[in-house]
Amino acid sequence: MTQTSLRSVAIAVGGLVLAVAPAWAHHAFSAEFDENKKVMLRGRVAQMEWINPHVWIHLDVKGPDGAVASWMIEGGPPNALLKRGWNKHSLPEGTEIVVEGYQSKDGSLRANGREITLADGSKLFVGSSGAGEKPATEK
Amino acid sequence: MRPRFFAPFAVVAAAPLLLVSARAQTPKAAQPSTTPQAASPQAAKPPAASKWTPPRTPWGDPDLQGWYTNLSEDGTPLERPDQFAGRKLEDIQGAELAKIKEDIQKRTITNFQGPLHAPEHWWQDDLNLVKGSQAWLVVDPPDGKIPALTPQAKERAAARAAARRNSGRGPADSWTDLTLYDRCITRGLPGSMMPAIYGNSYQIVQSPGFVAIRYEMVHETRLIPVAAAGKEPPPHAAASIRSYMGDPRGHWEGDTLVVETTNFRDESTYRGANAATLRLVERFRRVAKDRVKWAVTVDDPDTWTQPWTFSMPLTMDDSQPVLEYGCHEGNYGLRNILSAARAADQKAAEDAAKK
Repeated sequence: MTQTSLRSVAIAVGGLVLAVAPAWAHHAFSAEFDENKKVMLRGRVAQMEWINPHVWIHLDVKGPDGAVASWMIEGGPPNALLKRGWNKHSLPEGTEIVVEGYQSKDGSLRANGREITLADGSKLFVGSSGAGEKPATEK
Repeated sequence: MRPRFFAPFAVVAAAPLLLVSARAQTPKAAQPSTTPQAASPQAAKPPAASKWTPPRTPWGDPDLQGWYTNLSEDGTPLERPDQFAGRKLEDIQGAELAKIKEDIQKRTITNFQGPLHAPEHWWQDDLNLVKGSQAWLVVDPPDGKIPALTPQAKERAAARAAARRNSGRGPADSWTDLTLYDRCITRGLPGSMMPAIYGNSYQIVQSPGFVAIRYEMVHETRLIPVAAAGKEPPPHAAASIRSYMGDPRGHWEGDTLVVETTNFRDESTYRGANAATLRLVERFRRVAKDRVKWAVTVDDPDTWTQPWTFSMPLTMDDSQPVLEYGCHEGNYGLRNILSAARAADQKAAEDAAKK
């Protein structure tokens, strides 16, 4: 999927223009990512980099033309995720996911992840507020 | 492998956009216990009247060892907010303090709501800011305000700002334009002991002649030579030997560990202090089974018109061990910040060329 078509996806889901940057990373969101470049990616996990200060999920995204684009998705700090019930095996290679996030300002295929949805519809990291009562990998 | 698309976009698009994981969302079973001491409105009072006697190490020093956290102090302002003018820190307790902390918690939740963030009560509740024990941190001077800067400190600050302004540099021309924290190097001292957005666990370990303090965020360990009871600590390193975290020396005053740190570097000095003259004096005293009172006196006559002290409790909590935080391991953020700045430079150049 090309960058352009991803942007069209972003528009299709609302193209939200967002005004407030999060403070969950020790780097400023706005220095790296563009809050006006919302992306939604569907693909398969190629690799989970369980690294500090933030995990990075490598995602193979197949476009309508069959071409596969390799995206990198920034997640939370491993220690924070661990306390939420995650570990480095939570997203095995080949896992199908949908990622909502915001693309990097330099236009490369990198994004700050916001929410991950698994094939069975369960959410990782987040979900409904009620899901927060359970480890993140539980339904 | 053929991707199997599984979630209609409409469904996903209708889901709230949520923050991936802002802070450690501790499973309920691992929530820090609410101890009477940690939640007590007495936490900010001097511990002198405590009848509790700290345990001793096998070699006879007061035993401070264990896992601690200061997560709940994250929302506590350093200086006294103006709304408390004329009030004493120790007088703001009980229901009044509880209301202040509840307001901080609510404000934090509100600030983090929204499409880029998390829905209410997602991870924010885990901050436990309601357990914060003080209305502010500065305990001396009694007005809760940092003393005035000296004239020379104001001149230094102005010169630094002017040099930056006149340098012609952008915010991220090079990695050297970014902070030591951005670069995973250090948060300095006392920065490395202060609450952060995640990773707020400490570990204190003692051996004869040494105390080691480790903090999860940026994963710095201070190794403090400590004199035996009744003995003088060894002298500081030569003035020419400077480090980001300074050169610490410790000794015991009764049950209180006193750590004096000097020999800072300009790059990491606290609040613009003169790194060559800054002296930080920390006092660690275990005042309860699960609490250490930590106070820091900031003394630099070249920067402030008088020394000043702030204090906060460190709460022992075995459910919050220090986890590995190899910040350099994959600090792609720095690369992304620099590449974003180069993209902005290119766009600016293209825009200029069109004019």
